[in-house]
Amino acid sequence: MNETTKAPGIFSREFLAKHVYDIAAYAGLIVTFILFLVFSGSRLSYNLGTVLQSAATYSIIALGAVFVYSMGYMDVSVGQQVGVYAILLIMITNKLGGGTFGVVVGFLAILALALVCGAFNGAVAVWLKLPSIVTSLFLMFFFTGAQLLLMESTGTNSISMQATIKPANRSTYNLVLVICIAAVAILVTYFFKYTKLGKYTRGIGANELATAQSGVATTRYKVLAYMAFGVCVAIGTFVMLMRTGSAGKGTGSGYAMDIMICLILGGMPLSGGMKSKVSSALIGTFTYVLLTNDLTTMGVDLNMINFVKAVIFLAIVLVTCRKKDGVLPR
Amino acid sequence: MKTMKKITSLVLAGAMTASLAGGVTAQAADGKKCTIGVAFYQDSGLAVDATKAYLESLSDTLNVSFTYTVLSMTDEAVNLTTVQELISSGVDGIICTMDLGMTSIVSECEAAGVYIGGYLCDYDTSYTSAYEQVFQSDYFVGTAIDGQAPDDVTGGTTFFESLIEYNERAEEPITHVSMTIFPSWAYPSQQTLADQFVAAVEEYNETAETPITVDPLDEETDILQFTTMDSTYFSKHPDAQAIISFAAGTSFVYPTMVQSGVDLKLFTTSFEGGEEENFGSNGTQTFQQNMVTAVESITYPLVLLLNAINGVEFADQPEDAERVSCSQFCINSDEDMEIFQNSIYYTANANDAMFTAEEVLNMTAYANEEATYADLKDILSHMTIEDLQ
Repeated sequence: MNETTKAPGIFSREFLAKHVYDIAAYAGLIVTFILFLVFSGSRLSYNLGTVLQSAATYSIIALGAVFVYSMGYMDVSVGQQVGVYAILLIMITNKLGGGTFGVVVGFLAILALALVCGAFNGAVAVWLKLPSIVTSLFLMFFFTGAQLLLMESTGTNSISMQATIKPANRSTYNLVLVICIAAVAILVTYFFKYTKLGKYTRGIGANELATAQSGVATTRYKVLAYMAFGVCVAIGTFVMLMRTGSAGKGTGSGYAMDIMICLILGGMPLSGGMKSKVSSALIGTFTYVLLTNDLTTMGVDLNMINFVKAVIFLAIVLVTCRKKDGVLPR
Repeated sequence: MKTMKKITSLVLAGAMTASLAGGVTAQAADGKKCTIGVAFYQDSGLAVDATKAYLESLSDTLNVSFTYTVLSMTDEAVNLTTVQELISSGVDGIICTMDLGMTSIVSECEAAGVYIGGYLCDYDTSYTSAYEQVFQSDYFVGTAIDGQAPDDVTGGTTFFESLIEYNERAEEPITHVSMTIFPSWAYPSQQTLADQFVAAVEEYNETAETPITVDPLDEETDILQFTTMDSTYFSKHPDAQAIISFAAGTSFVYPTMVQSGVDLKLFTTSFEGGEEENFGSNGTQTFQQNMVTAVESITYPLVLLLNAINGVEFADQPEDAERVSCSQFCINSDEDMEIFQNSIYYTANANDAMFTAEEVLNMTAYANEEATYADLKDILSHMTIEDLQ
C-alpha cells in the first residue's frame, strides 16, 4: 500500500492513450509541413509567405473561437460578421479621408460592434434558454442582409480602402502578420490558461450544471467568452483587409466552416470541456492551410482539393470523436 | 530492403526518362516550356468546355500546359487565395475571368514574377478605380472583353437590328418589347446597351409605319440580381411580345418563361446549349437571337502572356495594358444557328476552332518577328458569324 504515483513515460501505452488526439494533431502538422518543404521546390520562400498570409486571419479568429468552442458552443455568424465589419471599416476609413485617423476610428467602431454582437450572442442565448447556435443563426441572417444592403448602397460589387494598411515590403508584411498572430496567441493563452475566464468556459463545456452549482456565474462567463471571440473577429477582419484591401458582397462567406475545420484539425473537441486547448487553433489553422498548399503543389486538380480536404476532415472527425453519443455539439 | 531498393531505382529511372522526354519536347517546340493557369467564372458549361478544348489543342505546339480553377463572384479573399494557389502550383502566367480583388491579385503576381491577363471581362472596376495598380502594372498584359467596353458599346444597336430583321421575315411582327439587364455594379455596360436599344427604336419610330413600343426598365423586376427572373415580370409587361434580355437570358429569363407558360420571343446574350431546339423556326420558336463571344478571344491574353514569359513584346505594343472589345457571334436566323453549330463554342472540338496551334504560335513575337500587336488586336474584331462562314 506504499506505492508512489509515477508519471507515465512518453512512450508508455498510458501516455499515448491519454494524448492520442494531441499526437495526431501534431503529427498532422508535421506531415503537412514536411510535404510543404518537399513540394514547394523553388517557390518555398513565396509559399511560406502565402501560407502565413492565408493562415493569419484564420488563426486569429480561431484563437478567439477557442473560448466559444471550449464551452461546446459554436458561432455560425462569424463569416458574415467579418464581411460587414470589413465593409464598415472601409466605408468609415474612406469617409474620413482615407488616412490613419479614419483607419483607427473605423477599427474602434467595428471593435465596439463586435463586442456588442458577442454580448448579444452570449446573453440572449441564456436569457431565452436557446442553444447558442440559434442566436448565432439569427446574427448570421442579420449580417447577411446588412452586408447586401451596405454593398447595394455603394452601387458596386466591391469597395476598396483608400488608406494603405498593408506594408509595401513583403518581408515587413510577413513580420507584421507573425507579430499579430503571436500577440493574439499570447493574450488568448493568458486568458484561457491563467484566468477565471478560461477555467470557467472549459468548466461550462465539461459540465455546465456542475460549474453553475459551484457558484460560477455561467451567464457572465458565456457573455465574456463571446465578447473575447468578438475582439478576435475584429482583429482578424483588420488582418484580412490588410491582405485584400477591399471587400464585397461575399467577403467572409465560408469562414464559420473553415474556423470549425481548423479547430477540429487541431484537436479541439466539438463538445468542449477541459481538454480544450489554445494550441488547437494554431495547429489546426496551419495544418489546414498547409494541407491546401501541399495538395496544390503536389499537382492535385484544384477542383479536387475541396473534395480531398472534405474526406480528410471527415476521417479526422470520425477517428477523434470523443462523445459516445454523437459528434455534433449541443 | 531489396524490394525498397528496387522500387527506388524504378522511380529514379522513371523520373530520368520523364525528364529526358520533357527536355526533348522543350527543345522541339518554340518558346519556353511553361504553365498557364486559367481561372474561370464557373466550373462548367459550353463556353468553359470549349475554351478548355481550344487551349488543350494549342498545348503541344505552344509548349504550354494549362491548369484550371474557378473564381468567386463575390469574395476577393477567395480569389486572392485561388491565385496564390495557382502561383504555388508553379504557373508562369494566369488568365483571369473576374475583376474582383484585382489590386491585391496583381500585386501578388508582381511579387511572384507571374504574368496575368484577362478574358471575357472588361475589368471596369479596376479600369476606373485602380488603373495605375492594374493596367499600368508590368505584370498585367491586358484583357479581351466579353463584347464591348462600357465606353465603346454598340450591342444595343445590334439587338435592334436583330429585332427588325425578325420583323421583316415574320408574319406577325413584334411591336411591343420589354427588357432585362444585370445590375450596373456588375455589368455597367448593360444599362448603356438598353439606352442604346431604346434610342435606336425611337429613331426608327420616327419614320416607321408600325412603331415599336419599348417598356422602360422596371427596377423591381427587370434588373436581375443574378437570380432567375421573377414571374411578376409578366404582369409588369402584359403587352410585351418579346423580351430583349441583355442579361444572360437562357439561365435567368427562359426558365421563368417556361414555368409561367408565356409565349414570348426572346432575344438574348449568352448561349448555354439547348437553345437551338427552340430557336428560329424550330420547336417553340422562343429564341430569336443569341449573342456570344467566341472562345478563341482567349488567344489575345494568351499570346501576350506567352510573349511576356518568353521575355519579348511586340514592337508596336502600347505601354499600358489595354482592354480590347470583341466582336460577337450574333445568331439571328436558322442559317446563323447552323453555322454556329459548327463552331468550337458549340462542338468543343478543336478542329472547329478559328485558329490552329501553328497560327497562334505565329501570332507570338518570339516565334514570328513580323507579328504585331495591331494584328493580334485585330483578330478580336473578326469573330462574327460572318467570319465563321
